Amino acid sequence: MTAQTEPMATRWLGDSSLKDRLIAALPLIVLIALVAVVSAQQPNFLGMSNVRGLLEGLAPILLLAIGQTFVILTGGIDLSFAVVSSLSTVLLALWLPEIGPVAVVLVPLITLGTGLLTGIVVAVAQVPSFIVTLGAMGLWSGVALTLSSASTIRISEGYQAIGWITDMRIAGLPVSALIAIALAVIAAVAFKTLSRGRTLHAMGLAEKALLMSGNSTRMIRIAAFGMCGLFSGLAGLVLASSQYSGGPTLGDTLMLPAIAAVVIGGNAITGGVGGPMKTLVGALIIIVLRVGLSAIGVPAAYEQIVYGAIIVGAVVLTIDRSRLGIVK
Amino acid sequence: MNDVVLEVRNLRKEFRGVVALDDISFEVRRHEVVGLIGENGAGKSTLLKILSGVYQPDGGEILRMGQTVSFKTAGDSAAAGIGMVHQEQSLVTSVSVAENIFLGEEGRGVRGGVFRWGELRRMAQAQLDKIKSPILPKAKVESLTFAERQMVELAKALSVEERAENEPVIVLDEPTSVLEGDELEVLFEQIERLRKFASIIFVSHRLDEVLRISDRVYVFKDGQQVAVRNRNEVDTDELHRLMVGRESTSEFYHEGAQLSVEGNPVLLEVSGLSKHKAFEDVSFALRAGEVVGIAGVLGSGREELSRVLFGAEPFSSGTIELDGRGLPLRSPVEAVKVGIGYIPAERRIEGVAQGMSVQENIFLADPSTVSRGPFLDARKAAAEADRWVKGLKIKTPNRQTDVANLSGGNQQKVVLAKWLSSPRLRVLILDHPTRGLDVGAKEDVYRFIRELCARGIGVVLLADTLEETIALSHTILVMRDGVVQNRFDAHPGNKPKPVDLVEGMV
Repeated sequence: MTAQTEPMATRWLGDSSLKDRLIAALPLIVLIALVAVVSAQQPNFLGMSNVRGLLEGLAPILLLAIGQTFVILTGGIDLSFAVVSSLSTVLLALWLPEIGPVAVVLVPLITLGTGLLTGIVVAVAQVPSFIVTLGAMGLWSGVALTLSSASTIRISEGYQAIGWITDMRIAGLPVSALIAIALAVIAAVAFKTLSRGRTLHAMGLAEKALLMSGNSTRMIRIAAFGMCGLFSGLAGLVLASSQYSGGPTLGDTLMLPAIAAVVIGGNAITGGVGGPMKTLVGALIIIVLRVGLSAIGVPAAYEQIVYGAIIVGAVVLTIDRSRLGIVK
Repeated sequence: MNDVVLEVRNLRKEFRGVVALDDISFEVRRHEVVGLIGENGAGKSTLLKILSGVYQPDGGEILRMGQTVSFKTAGDSAAAGIGMVHQEQSLVTSVSVAENIFLGEEGRGVRGGVFRWGELRRMAQAQLDKIKSPILPKAKVESLTFAERQMVELAKALSVEERAENEPVIVLDEPTSVLEGDELEVLFEQIERLRKFASIIFVSHRLDEVLRISDRVYVFKDGQQVAVRNRNEVDTDELHRLMVGRESTSEFYHEGAQLSVEGNPVLLEVSGLSKHKAFEDVSFALRAGEVVGIAGVLGSGREELSRVLFGAEPFSSGTIELDGRGLPLRSPVEAVKVGIGYIPAERRIEGVAQGMSVQENIFLADPSTVSRGPFLDARKAAAEADRWVKGLKIKTPNRQTDVANLSGGNQQKVVLAKWLSSPRLRVLILDHPTRGLDVGAKEDVYRFIRELCARGIGVVLLADTLEETIALSHTILVMRDGVVQNRFDAHPGNKPKPVDLVEGMV
C-alpha cells in the first residue's frame, strides 16, 4: 500500500489502450474511406451543389439520431421517435394555418411532452423501454393517422413560419443542417463541461452505483426520453418544411437510418459509451452511403436492407460482451 | 489409513499482477476432514475455484491419488471425484431435487432429450440415501429449508462418486454460514457419516466449528499457508492469532485513535423503526464522531436496517431524525441531500461506477466542491482528484483510469473518497466496508474510519467480524431476528468480548 512510486503505468498501459483508440477512430476512418470511394466514382461528389444536397438530407436524420443518443446512452432505446416526428409534421400542418408561428414552438414542446410521458412510464413502471416505446410507436402512429385522416396535408397558409428552414443558406449551406450540427456540438460541449455532464453515461454504465450516490436515476431517465421527444419534434419541423406538408408516416422511414447513425458512429447500444459527436459522424456516414448507393445505381428500396445490416453489423463489431450477462 | 488422496503443491495464482495465491500446499488423506481457515482475502476462494476447475493456476500442481491432474473445466474436476458444495447455494429453486442433483449430468436419467422421471428419481434417491436424508427427490427445491437445501447440495456433490474411480473428496465452502443451531448439528452428523467413504475439505472462518469437525487445520494468510495443526494440539485463540498474524489487535484497529464522544451532539436519532418482515422497533442515537456497530447474523435484519437508513429501502413505521428534524427518506437522493452516505457491500455494482474514471467516481455523489455554477472546474477537479488519490493512497496509474481496473481495496478507497469529498457528509453508513479486502487495505479503512470520527462524522458500521465491530465501535447493538437483543458500551478501555456479543446473536 505504501509503494506509491511503483511504476504501475508500465503495467497498465499497452494492454488495451491502442486497440480501444483504434476502435474509437473507426467510424471516422469509415467516413473518410466512404467519401474517397464515392469521390472516385463521382469526381464532383465534393462539389458545392452536391455537398448542399447532402446536407439537406442530413438535418432530419441527425436531429432524430441526436435525440436517440440521449436515450441509448442511458442504456435504453426509443422506438417511437420516428413516429413522433411524423406526428409532429401532422400537427404542424393542422396548426400552422390556425395559429401561425406559435405552432413552431408549440409542436416541439408537445413532442417533448410525449417523450417525458414515455420516460415516466419506463422509469416509474420499470418496464423495459423497448416494450414501452414499441407500444408508444403504435399509439402515436394511430394518433397521427386519425388526425390527418390518413392522408398527407399540404401546408400553404402559414408555411412561411417554417419555410426558412429549407430556404435559408449560410455561406451557401442549408441552415437546417447547420443548426442540427450546432445542436450536436452544443450537446457534446454540455456533456463535457457540466459538472454532472457524464450522468447519462454513468446511467448506462452503472445505474445502481449512480442511484446509490444519491442521483435520481428516475429523473435522469425521464429527461433523456424528454430530449429524444424534443429532437423528434425538431426533426418534424425540418421534414414538414422540406416537404411543404405534414404526413402521418412522413418520418417513419427515418427510424432505421437514424438508429443506424447512432450505432455506426460508435455509441454503445448497451449504453454508457458515446456522445453526440459520434452520432454526427454516424449520420454523415449514413448520408454519404445513401447518396453513394444511388450513385452506383442501387434502388432506393434496398436502402433499408443496408441500414438494417449496418445496425446489426456495427453492434456485432463493437459490443462489449464482457458486460452482458445473458443475451435475451 | 494414512494415504494421501489429494495433494496441492506450491500453488500460485495472480490476477492482473495481484497475487491471490502465493505458494499454497496442503494434503488430504483418506477419510479425513481437513479444515481450511483464513480471513477474507487469504486465498480460500481462489484455491477452491482452482480445485473446481474455474481458474487455472499460474504455478504449482494438483495431485489426485499421486497423479498430477489439471482441471480445465468444472467437469474435469467432477470426473476426478471432487465434489463442491458452494458457499452461495447453486440450486435451481423452481425445479425438483432430483433434477438439481443431476443438473447437466443426467446420464441414464435422460434418453433422447426426454427426462425418464422414474429413473432420475431412483438415481437421486440413491444419492440422498448416502447421507440418509429423508428429502424426497420429487420435492421442489423452493419448498425446502436452507438446511435441507444444503443437504441437497451435499447429495449433488456426492454424485461425483459414480463418475470417478476413486472415493470422492467433498469440498464444503463456508457451509455453516447460513445454518443455525439444529441445522448445524444435522450437517455435522452428515459430515461424520460422509467421512466413512469420503474425504472432506471444510472451509470456514468460524474457528470453533472448524476445530470441532476437522482432524487437521490449515491456516491461510495473504495467499500463503502459514500453519498446519492437529486438532488436539491447538485452540481457537491460537488459530485466530495464526490467521490474523499479529499479537495485538488493538494496534491493527487503531484503537488508540478512538476518541470519546461524550457530550457530542446527537446527529442521527432512530426511534421505533420497523420494516415489515425485516426488523422491528429499532431505536438508537448516533453522536457526532461516534461509531455505532450493529452485529448480527444473516437474517438478523441489520442489512435491511442499513439500507433503510440510506433510503434505499422503505420502512413501515418509526422515525429517523437528523439534527432533530424528521427525514422522509424515500430514496438515496434524499439521504445524500441531507448528508448521509453509504458504502455498500455490493461494491462492484452499487459502490463504484465501473467504466467511469477514478476522478468521475470521486465526484459522482457531490461535485459541488469542483463546480463553478453548473459547470465543472476542470483544473480544480483534476487537482482535487489527485489529492484524494494521494491522500487515501489509491493505487491507480492516474485519475483517468477506469475504476474497474483497480483492485477491490482501491475501489473501496475510491468509494470512500466519493463520500469524504462531499462537504455535506454528516453520517456514513458502512455495510461490510472491508469485505474481500486484503489486510493492508483493511488497516487503511480502519484508519479512515478514525479520521472520519475525528472530523465529527457519525458512522453506522456493519462489520465483517465481531473483532472488527468491537474494536471500531463506541456503541454496539446486537440484533437477532430483526430485534435489538443487547446494547454494549464499547468505549476505549471498556470493550466487550466476542462471546458477550455472540450470546445475543444466536
